[in-house]
Amino acid sequence: MLTFVISEALSNLRRGGRVAVSAVLLITLSLAALGAFWVLSLNLGRAVGEWRDRLRIVVYLREEPPPAALGEFLQTVEAVGGVQRLRYVSKAEALRTLRQQLGGQASPVEQLPTNPLPPSVEITPSPEASTPEGTRALIQRLSALAEVEEVQGGTEWVEWLAQLQGLLQVIGLAVGAVLALAAILTVTTATTLVLHARREEMEIMRLVGASEMVIRLPLFLQGLAQGLVGAAVAVGGLGLAYRFALPTLEPLLAVTLGLPRAAFFSPAEIALLLSGGAVLGAVGGLMAKGGRAA
Amino acid sequence: MIQLSGVSKEYRVGPVKVTALADVSFGIEKGEFTVLAGPSGSGKTTLLRLLYRDEMPTEGEIRVAGYDVTRLRRSKIPQLRRAIGVVFQDAKLLPGRTVYENVAFVLRVLGAPRREMTARVMQVLKAVGLSARAQALPAQLSLGEQQRAALARALVKEPALLLADEPTGNLDEAIAEEILDLLKEIWSRGTTILLATHRATLADQLKRRTLVLHRGRLLKDED
Repeated sequence: MLTFVISEALSNLRRGGRVAVSAVLLITLSLAALGAFWVLSLNLGRAVGEWRDRLRIVVYLREEPPPAALGEFLQTVEAVGGVQRLRYVSKAEALRTLRQQLGGQASPVEQLPTNPLPPSVEITPSPEASTPEGTRALIQRLSALAEVEEVQGGTEWVEWLAQLQGLLQVIGLAVGAVLALAAILTVTTATTLVLHARREEMEIMRLVGASEMVIRLPLFLQGLAQGLVGAAVAVGGLGLAYRFALPTLEPLLAVTLGLPRAAFFSPAEIALLLSGGAVLGAVGGLMAKGGRAA
Repeated sequence: MIQLSGVSKEYRVGPVKVTALADVSFGIEKGEFTVLAGPSGSGKTTLLRLLYRDEMPTEGEIRVAGYDVTRLRRSKIPQLRRAIGVVFQDAKLLPGRTVYENVAFVLRVLGAPRREMTARVMQVLKAVGLSARAQALPAQLSLGEQQRAALARALVKEPALLLADEPTGNLDEAIAEEILDLLKEIWSRGTTILLATHRATLADQLKRRTLVLHRGRLLKDED
């Protein structure tokens, strides 16, 4: 029975001709579009995550606290709430860091009569304080401290990036959904044409007592195969595009988003795309109407 | 084998109601050879279609091969049809398949084991006198041979009941005679046969119980 069902599905695919090929192409297009937006969103998501992790608030102080009072001052800062970690950067350490950063061009710094850099406290906000509202409130509380000259830091642009990621996801889903619908309809048409061409066989099958499952299963398998092939071509195409674009893409991502490496789909995500294609095809195959039901 | 009680079938053609069968009742025992006679449009084909649940009656009850056809669930229809072989006036052979493949198609659809398939197909082709034409395509067969192939296809699943709807309608007298002889041979092996024909002479010639339909009503039931 299984041999019969599989051989019928293969024969349906052969008989589907150009319409069957169109269906595969449409599934490829819909999943490639969906996949492309997904990869973009995946990388933006990683950038958002990394930037959220790197988020720091720098509290510049009016003057360096005396060493005996430093511990108490840092406790005061911690007590404002929303602080996960803090690190005091003295004037001397700030100057050392500046020298290191300037490297060979540090000579003007050496000529300064006094150290102009302010002492500061670098604060890593707690997860609750990492949201735009949380960060704004933390900055307000820190600014209210008497020893504080200025507070710098914020999450606005990270949140903008997150919003862009969300927008990309929505656009990707919308384009993918429209193309997926078109793909389902094309598979349905391809299968209906096969059914029309095979109506005599279907009639005989029903007449001799074949169950509806035996009649419909080859159509389901036909759609499933079309979907799988379409999805595999889409994943393969995206993989090739990713590989070719990588040398150009990675430096760009490093400069704009600070991502050292571009990410592609994980094996689980590839399996999800392939399953998506198979489902699209199978739904198209099952929706086909033709031949007279019992 | 077959029991009809007060069976009626009406079709609606727009606002017009057309009565194909009206209050038909009869019974056919297992192993009987019965002729269903009547002119074209008398309701013979409709009656046969009700028997294999291709249509549902508007009224009445039908039992076939132990199945209550009128109350049969959709999912059980294939089971009923496995017990029935059907042949039509046109043989309805699949044109792209050989005689062997046409007959084997039934067994493949029904999931018969592959090792049994060849033996069963060749056995039934031999029974209808077509074993030498097994590899021929339907277009290469005469009308009589096509009808034999259709009979082989109906018989390969060993049905308890054979419904033959004008199987000799397209054939000349001599070949029609051959098909009738073949039907008698099939009947002699125990298969119940209901043969629908518009030829009154055929019914006389067979000398079997004859049910005469006229305008959807059962006019005569005579042995």
